[in-house]
Amino acid sequence: MKALTTAGLLVLVAGCGRGKAIFNVDVYSFMAGSGRDTIPYAIPPLSSATASTFQMVQLPPGFGSSVVDSVRITIGSANLINNTGTGALGFSFFFATDSAGTLSTPSALDVPATTVNGSGTVPVTISGDLSPAIHSLFTNDTLWMRIVATGTNAGATPVTGKGALTALVIRVVLQDKIL
Amino acid sequence: MRTAVVAVTLAVLVLAPRAAHAQISFDARRLGMGGVSLGRDGNASRYNPAYRAVKNRSGGGTGAPKVTIPVPLGLYDFFRHHPIGKLTSDPTFNPDSAAFNPVELLNLILSPPIFLDLRKPPAPTNNVEFTIGKNQLIMNLGATSVLIPDQTFGLGTSGRVLDLGTGVGPFHISVMGFVHYDIGFTLDSALRSVLKDTVPVRPDSSYFIITDALAQTGFTPTVSYAARVWHPTVLSDSGAPGGPNANADDGVYLGASAHYYFGATYARGVGPAGFTVGNPIFAVAPTVLFDGIVHTANRPNGHGVGADVGIAWISGPFEVGVGANDLGAQLTWSDTKVQRIQYDPNGDSISTTLLANHVQSTTKLPISYIANAALRMGTGTTVGGDVFNAGRGTVIHLGAEQRYGPFAVRGGVARDQRKKLQFGFGGGLRMGAFGLDLGVWTHSNTLADSRAMTMATSISVY
Repeated sequence: MKALTTAGLLVLVAGCGRGKAIFNVDVYSFMAGSGRDTIPYAIPPLSSATASTFQMVQLPPGFGSSVVDSVRITIGSANLINNTGTGALGFSFFFATDSAGTLSTPSALDVPATTVNGSGTVPVTISGDLSPAIHSLFTNDTLWMRIVATGTNAGATPVTGKGALTALVIRVVLQDKIL
Repeated sequence: MRTAVVAVTLAVLVLAPRAAHAQISFDARRLGMGGVSLGRDGNASRYNPAYRAVKNRSGGGTGAPKVTIPVPLGLYDFFRHHPIGKLTSDPTFNPDSAAFNPVELLNLILSPPIFLDLRKPPAPTNNVEFTIGKNQLIMNLGATSVLIPDQTFGLGTSGRVLDLGTGVGPFHISVMGFVHYDIGFTLDSALRSVLKDTVPVRPDSSYFIITDALAQTGFTPTVSYAARVWHPTVLSDSGAPGGPNANADDGVYLGASAHYYFGATYARGVGPAGFTVGNPIFAVAPTVLFDGIVHTANRPNGHGVGADVGIAWISGPFEVGVGANDLGAQLTWSDTKVQRIQYDPNGDSISTTLLANHVQSTTKLPISYIANAALRMGTGTTVGGDVFNAGRGTVIHLGAEQRYGPFAVRGGVARDQRKKLQFGFGGGLRMGAFGLDLGVWTHSNTLADSRAMTMATSISVY
């Protein structure tokens, strides 16, 4: 947190000219290797299921009065590493001020479902603008993100495997008001 | 908040000490010549004690006016764009406004809008971009990076306040107050690279600013001498001493002042302030780096001696002078304490450790000097120059004035304290006892290193 405070101070002293402040937050780098970058899934036959992972996102402090112009996932990718079965899996992103809030808020971005079939790895591209409804969250020092994998299985064989995030960069553009 | 910002800014605009590199003059003639003063006022008489015995030219030609009144077109323009009744909601002073630009506000403080800006100092308005990852921090400040100084930056001056005294003949006895402060900040090369060159922050690395600040004040009884020690014998037509030029200013002038300094108080602080980033950068809390040594006087008992010396030679149209102030001015403070002020990461607090108490410390006043020369040609042309240092870098001015009857054309060039070349040009019209002058000059008085251009106008009374 202090590191981000320091970064915020540097923003203050060095980037205080009028203009927009742009943050490219490599969220994946905070998730990689922690186990939170993967979502195991097991979908019984003729049904659907969800699984999710949570991640706290820290942002430089001091932007509480700022106006967020846009929030976009500019770089995002995942691998669907399927073990068995044939089905379809999609991702949804939820953001809230705390982890519990991500369970009740509408999704900010939905990634269309991708078909998996048998043993194999299917890459998925994740990108898009996040819903304006959650823009104001990005003026906070911290917020929570929940990634939900939703799968459907129309076959008779369970669909099992895991979704592994491989990249996730969120770009936040805001009109900074840091005083 | 808004009211506070407006109030503080206006107070600073009025009361702020001159920035180290600021060359503020209200004389459009001088500004039009790149800052050089062809008269014997201003810096020449202030820093060369010999000039106290030289009559100030007045009344004609390049003579110094009795009074110079600036015509503050810049203030008119400023208040036209920033109505005084709406200052509290003015985006320039209102941090809540999307148009608020702190750089613009600082520029306003460093370069007060007395005169009309023809080219305003840059106040970058570009986007700044930060890339943040668990082990990554990159700052791209874009055009704002011009604000990151390459050299030591800060404020400082060594000045004299009041000068109460009396004189007999060439001697003068007085008591002056002195104030000296010098606050310098230097970005370490790693931090400068991060901010200016978009170099990624490295794990386990320190980034800091070195601060060196000194302030001292007191008073100094002074004994001065200034006189013409030699002047050419001018013979009249009959061969007797005296003649039409017997009262001319020609001659050699010497001046000297001996000071005994009584220091009232002083403080000095030196040390780095910054942080050491962890590894990974955003997964391990950085360590605050703050470690300063502070010297302060326990009692107002600084003592020291120093001297000013100067010489000036005037021969017809030519004159040259050299003067220096505060030579050997070292104050000894017999009762001071030395403290170390550090950030304590364990307690997340600032700790103060007394390293020594009731010890002796010494400080110096910076030597100020000036060398000036001027040549007045019979064709209405006057050229001059000076080299001036008030303790924070040498400034060089070269300028010339050409008079055509009541009209004057001026030009000049200067090297400022940032070692940056500046230019000036202008003109004037004199009608009897009054003169109207206009001068345009470039300067780099603001945060950015870039030049701004300002037009000064003033009325002189001769």
